[in-house]
Order: sequence, then C-alpha cells, then structure tokens
Amino acid sequence: MGKATVIPFGPQHPVLPEPLHLDLVVEDETVIEAVPQIGFVHRGLEKLVETRDYNQFIYVAERICGICAFGHSMGYAETVERLMGVEIPRRAEYLRVIWHELSRVHSHILWMGLAADAFGYESLFMHCWRLRERVLDIFEKTTGGRVIFSVVKVGGVVRDIDAAQMAEIKRVLEGIKEDYRQICDAFLKDSSVKNRTVGVGHISHEDALAKSMVGPFARASNVNWDVRMLGNGGYGELSDFQPVLDTQGDCYARVKVRALEVLQSIEIIEEMMAKIPAGDIAVPVKGSPAAGAQAANVVEQPRGECYYYARGNGTKYLERMRMRTPTSQNLAGMATALAGCDLADVNMIVLTIDPCISCTER
Amino acid sequence: MGLQTEFLPLSVDALPAFAADRKREGWRFVQLLAVRTDAGCDLVYSFMKDGLLENHVVEGVTKETPVPSITDQFLAAFVFENEAHDLFGIDIRDIAIDFGGKFYQLAQSEPMTIISPAQKAARDKAAKAAAAKAAKERSAQGEAAGAGGTAGGAEDLEAKLSGMDPEKAAKVRAAMEAKAKKEAAAKQAAVDEKVAALDPEKAAKVKAALAAKAAREKAKREQDGAPEGADGAEAAAQPADADGAASPAQGAPAAVEGEGE
Repeated sequence: MGKATVIPFGPQHPVLPEPLHLDLVVEDETVIEAVPQIGFVHRGLEKLVETRDYNQFIYVAERICGICAFGHSMGYAETVERLMGVEIPRRAEYLRVIWHELSRVHSHILWMGLAADAFGYESLFMHCWRLRERVLDIFEKTTGGRVIFSVVKVGGVVRDIDAAQMAEIKRVLEGIKEDYRQICDAFLKDSSVKNRTVGVGHISHEDALAKSMVGPFARASNVNWDVRMLGNGGYGELSDFQPVLDTQGDCYARVKVRALEVLQSIEIIEEMMAKIPAGDIAVPVKGSPAAGAQAANVVEQPRGECYYYARGNGTKYLERMRMRTPTSQNLAGMATALAGCDLADVNMIVLTIDPCISCTER
Repeated sequence: MGLQTEFLPLSVDALPAFAADRKREGWRFVQLLAVRTDAGCDLVYSFMKDGLLENHVVEGVTKETPVPSITDQFLAAFVFENEAHDLFGIDIRDIAIDFGGKFYQLAQSEPMTIISPAQKAARDKAAKAAAAKAAKERSAQGEAAGAGGTAGGAEDLEAKLSGMDPEKAAKVRAAMEAKAKKEAAAKQAAVDEKVAALDPEKAAKVKAALAAKAAREKAKREQDGAPEGADGAEAAAQPADADGAASPAQGAPAAVEGEGE
C-alpha cells in the first residue's frame, strides 16, 4: 500500500461539466476518501425573494437551472399556491405535467450525451444531442423558449397547447421513440459502455437509504421513491405509475434507470395529451400570503426530489423561499460511491450522479 | 393520495434524540433550512416517510445558541448545516464534514441575516396599511353606532312627545323646526359663499344645477304627498355636504367637474 496523497479534482476539470471540487485522498490508484466542496458560483437567488414579489419571483426560480427550468417554476408556483390556498384548473395541471415530462426527456438525453462523451463514445454523444434538439423544438413551438420558458404563473399557466400542437407533439415523439431505442441499445448493450460502467461506483440499497439519496441515483439502488408516486396535480390522473428501479446500484444501473425513464416520460406525455380536459388554464390570484403562513412542497425533477418552502409576511414579498435541490441531497451518496473506486473511474461515477451544481448553489 | 405536509415544534435540546428516533423509525432526511425572525432564526428540519412530509421547526435560535449536528445520524445534512452556518451564522456543533465557515465563497458574512432596505420598506408599508385599515374599521363602527343612536334618539323623542301635553309638544316641535331651519339656512349661506367665490360662468352652472335639483325634489315630494317644510332648504344645502366645493345635483356634475379640472 502506497502513501496517501490528496489530489484536488475540480472545480474546473475537463471531465466535469459543473464547478464541483473534490479532495480525493488516494493510495496508489485507489480513492480512499472523497470530500466534496461547492460554493464557487453561489448566486444568492433565495435572497432575491426580498426584492421580487411572489409573482415576479417565478422568473427568478426558473433561472435556478438551465435544464430543470420548467420544474423549478412549477415547484415554486405549486408552493405559493399551497401557501395561499389556490386551486388551479385541471387543464393547467395537465399542461404542467406535459412540459415537465418533456423537460425530463431532454434532461436525461442531455445527460446521456455527456456520459457518452465522458467514456469516449463521441458519435453516441452527437446522436443524443441531435435527438434532444427535437425536444427543444417542441418547447420552442409551445412556449416560445428553448431554455427559459416562462409559461408557469401562480394560479396556472400562461399558454395553452392547442389540438394541432398536440398532434404535432405526438408525431415528433413517435419519431423520437424510434431513434431513441437505437441509442438505448448502444447504451445498454454495447460492450464499450458496459466496460466503463458495470460494477463501478456501487452503492448498496442500505447505503442509499442511510445517505437519504434521491432520484435515479437512489432508484438504481432499488430505493422505491419517486415524488410522482404521490399523484400530485396532473400525476394523480395517470392510470398507473411505477418508478423505474434497478437493483445493481452501479454506474450501469444508473444509466439504465435514466434510459428507461425517457420512454416512461414519453408514455406519460402521450397519456396526458389523450386525457387533457377542456377549460381554463389559470385562475386569478389576489392578495398576499398571510404573515407567518408557511408551506412545503416536493417535485420530482429529472435529477430527483426537489424540496420547496415558502413563508409569508403579510406583504406581496415572501419572507423566505427555499429550494433544496436533488444534487445537494446526493453529495453524501456521491462521497460514499467514490470511496474505494479507481482514480480513473472518478469522472464516470460523478457523471452518473448527474450533479447540477448550478441548481445546488442557487 | 397527494403530498401531506405538517409543521411541528421541536426544541434544540431534544434534537439529537429526535434525529436518532427518526433514523431508527426509517424516516428519510429531506432538508434543513433557516428562516430569519425577530427572535433570531427558525430552523426547519424536514423528514419524509410514506408520503408524509414532516417539518419540525426549532424557533428562536440565536447566534449564541449551540445547535448539535445531526450528521451522526444523517450524513446528508452536512451540506445544509454548513450552509446555515455560513448564510445565517448558526452555531452548529460537530458537523461530520465541517468547512469551518468556508463552505460558500461569500463577499459578506451571514448575508441572509441582513434585512434589505426594500424588504424593510415593504414591511413598514404593510404595517401602515394594516394600521390604517384597522383605524378605518374602528371609525366605521363608531359612525354606525352613532347613526343608530340618532335614529333611536328620534324615535325616543317622538315617543316622549306623544306622551306629553299636546300644547307643550307643539311648542317643542316648533322649536325643533326653527332649529332645523336655522341650520339649513347656515348651510345654504356656506354654499352661497362658496359659489360666489367661483368663476361667474361656473357659478351660474352650479346655481342652475342646484335649482334643478331642488325643483325635482319638490316635485317628487308633492307627488309623494309629503308636506313642504324645512326639508327643501336641507335638500338645497345637501351638495355642500357632499363635496364642500358645491358639487351640483345629479345630471349636471360631469360638466361642472370637467371644467373644474
């Protein structure tokens, strides 16, 4: 056994897409301990709630992350609606689910491209991102934006999706499914992918529970938890929802869970479009949250459960707004997964957690 | 099923035992957050099990209050405990991975404890608005009570008069009518004075409007069969009560107000 050495890894590193720093304690080529650190891009967005009223803050909330933008605006709006006792129209609930699941599809395909790039499969990376563009095109046609959408408001949504657009979305998703199955085959059957992922960065079911892990990271270790199971909003109208689980707990299992969740999300979108009721898309919201009133909410973002908290102070400004992102919940699990791995596998393990430090920093 | 959330109180002293219980019972740690309050900070610890999201609130934590870490039970809390320390100055002890105040690279220490001028202004404004609303409500209640008292007083007076000697009652009624006429004349004089101060053309319009209104009311009384009396003078004086600047009767106000603007 060699002498223990500390290798600083990040926050700027060729294989890290996010500003995450790791102090890797290594002996020979084996990582003994990994200490994560963030805080390089802290933006203080939660503090902005003091100077943006509860309607304006929705535009700040969706800028927390460029990938989960829709999810954050939806999570924030749902929390304020809980705080003020607002019930939104059913059509708005369905529309939120459709856009949210489209976000999950594009987030997971984006991540698969990054993973392919990390293990040196460049053509797979390009195919993934080419496919993702088609999802972004749907966003552009239905919301006017490709990254920031601004379609959610407290009380509902600001845009509708008409029947012609629904038909177009259905047609595009059918095409995406065909192409996506080929990409999926490459991820799940190709030996070059398996060589880098099978048995790497293993986390047991017990560890996943003990570290309070969330999202695909936890579900790959057979943790049966997905916020969508609760049936909040439009998710309550789904005929059946079962989380995608795997028991292996390694990098391959995490790839597999995300790959299958894309197909599951497309099915959810199709079901929502088939069932969507006619009616209003928003209700007027007046008044201010009462002083001392507080509400909590959770939303299943592409990376896992995201927690929202709001407290009113009798004015149109909230006293406190809190977003706990899935990555901050998964940092302890990531440190556990890194302990005992080969130094060459660190980037692969970090990527399969799909960390979003921008979300975490807020 | 839907998400169920609860907010429950918790004390700092009970925190370690509480965290151990939650761990033993299979709850998942969700998050820890701090909220600035007048008494210091509130810490909200969230746990989840079977779709129930419990938020346990430790109130009134000051910078001098040592808070035990729960990372011995839930390692995932290290992120939030370091954050609460850096952003709110909470003294959390024995964090498993303690960054010693350098978790976030901040330009200002404990930034979340500072009340921004915008927030302070909004709070003051809300407090003033609430105070004004309360005062208005009190005033309205007082007026309502006063109006009720006047009506009740008139009824009482009539009951007393009906029980009096008829000659004496007639004298009292005559005195009251004389008083009412005197008050109406005083009001009319005030109106005349204000009208005289107006531009002659405007004054003429106001006078015409007042005369028209008086004529309409007189016709209405005659139609209803009501006796003519001091009410006519009161009706003529009424616009002065409403506006103080001799607002004319219904039908003419738009032209007069338009010119006034």
